[in-house]
Amino acid sequence: MKLQSYDIPDDLLYTKEHEWAREVGPSVRVGITDYAAKTLNDVVYVAPSKVNDEVIQFKSMGTVESIKAVSELYSPLSGTVTRVNTELDLHPELVNKSPYSEGWLVEVKALDFASDRKRLLDAKQYAAHLETLLKK
Amino acid sequence: MDVLKTTQFHQYHSEHAKLTEFAGYEMPLWYTTTTDEHLAVRNDSGIFDVSHMGRFMFRGGPTASFLEGLVPTQVQKQSVGKEFYTLLLNDRAGIIDDLVILRLGETEFMLVVNAANAGTDMDHIRNRGPPEGVEIEDLTSSSAMVAVQGPKAQKALQPLTDLDLGQLRKFRCSETKVLGQPSIISRTGYTGEDGFEVIILDASNDEPGRATEFWERLTEVSKPCGLGARDSLRLEAGLPLHGLDIDQQTNPLQADLVWVLSPGKTGYAGSEAVSDLRTKTLDVVRRGVIVEQGIPRHGFDVLGGSDSVGKVTSGTFSPILRKGIALCRLRPEGTEPGTRVRVVIRDSAQDGQTVKPPFYDERQYGWKRQGNGN
Repeated sequence: MKLQSYDIPDDLLYTKEHEWAREVGPSVRVGITDYAAKTLNDVVYVAPSKVNDEVIQFKSMGTVESIKAVSELYSPLSGTVTRVNTELDLHPELVNKSPYSEGWLVEVKALDFASDRKRLLDAKQYAAHLETLLKK
Repeated sequence: MDVLKTTQFHQYHSEHAKLTEFAGYEMPLWYTTTTDEHLAVRNDSGIFDVSHMGRFMFRGGPTASFLEGLVPTQVQKQSVGKEFYTLLLNDRAGIIDDLVILRLGETEFMLVVNAANAGTDMDHIRNRGPPEGVEIEDLTSSSAMVAVQGPKAQKALQPLTDLDLGQLRKFRCSETKVLGQPSIISRTGYTGEDGFEVIILDASNDEPGRATEFWERLTEVSKPCGLGARDSLRLEAGLPLHGLDIDQQTNPLQADLVWVLSPGKTGYAGSEAVSDLRTKTLDVVRRGVIVEQGIPRHGFDVLGGSDSVGKVTSGTFSPILRKGIALCRLRPEGTEPGTRVRVVIRDSAQDGQTVKPPFYDERQYGWKRQGNGN
């Protein structure tokens, strides 16, 4: 679905802090939403958690930076980082160009995604959350 | 909250840009992306609405001698048509503001100051007691100001003015017309590139005359740029921003702006403190730092070995170097340009080295580059 100019794919789960999560085989892939990417305007540096780092749901898992600003990343789930999108080292702009596919950030081996996912928003809920934010 | 002030081009900004508050004004932050706008200025040309900057006109017999006592740079020796960068200093030689002064006539000068400091500057100037015969007029709201910057700036601006821009040398200014409207054009800027600053007179928000048309015509040939790119460009050029890199607690020696102090000049506001400081050892100095990984930001610690040698005063990502860059306030000894230092970016110390700005290669970028494209 779409809210104003912001894409919100129906098949993803979301945090209120604008990260998305998608199950990819045994792992969960994580990135930032189109809204987050557009708000940052131009991502120039991505420093997420590293492979083998443990992440905890809704706790910091690194940063994404634009020229002007630093934005904290919050993990949508608990687990261990298994892959980092190293393409972003040279091409951080992929986060802007393609936040939901080539611009993914990390993959995490979940501890208990069945429980974690209950605390995430679906596309409809995230769109409603965003709508409230944009009205402020 | 107070209502934000706007400029003559606000309608255009609100339709095309992400807006932000700056010094009490609602201004464009970016139109497309900061990187895109930044690179347009380095490689082609870009335009900036800088109408929020303070513009004070000084006229009358004793103006030159009054200004002579106000700033550490020689004023009366500047010929008509010259523009120069200088400082307002307090009694301790702390920098109240940095500014440019345009000498438009024997007894006519324009001061262009930072928007955030315009009120403080005017108070300071009034406190210096301008003598009878010096007339000061604040033209900020009755004029508009546009910076046209980049190697192709002359090409972009020339069709809109009668002035032969090819004859206007760097740091020169001239009264002229743009689209038939009285204006002042100077060859200067805040990006490190060749370019112009155009002050369009008799152009208030309510009666902008042809100022809005001027802006819109420029947008057809030059990329509109927001405050995001203005900041990344000035940082890459190593130009300090008052309020971050320099302030009332920083003196010109610490600010690495000794060149602004005309040799042998005395009798200006702050000159006694400056003379005194010259006899002392410098405790901190402004330097550039490039880091290999990460982006340095205001307040981050800079390490030499395991000791703190100072702090970042402003930092960003350089689109030209593709690296983090910063202006820093560092202990002078052991941080000379070329020295290895580390910047603490969140929890890790990132390798870097001190440099003498600008951060880019001056053979390739900036107004001194070979062949400026015009």
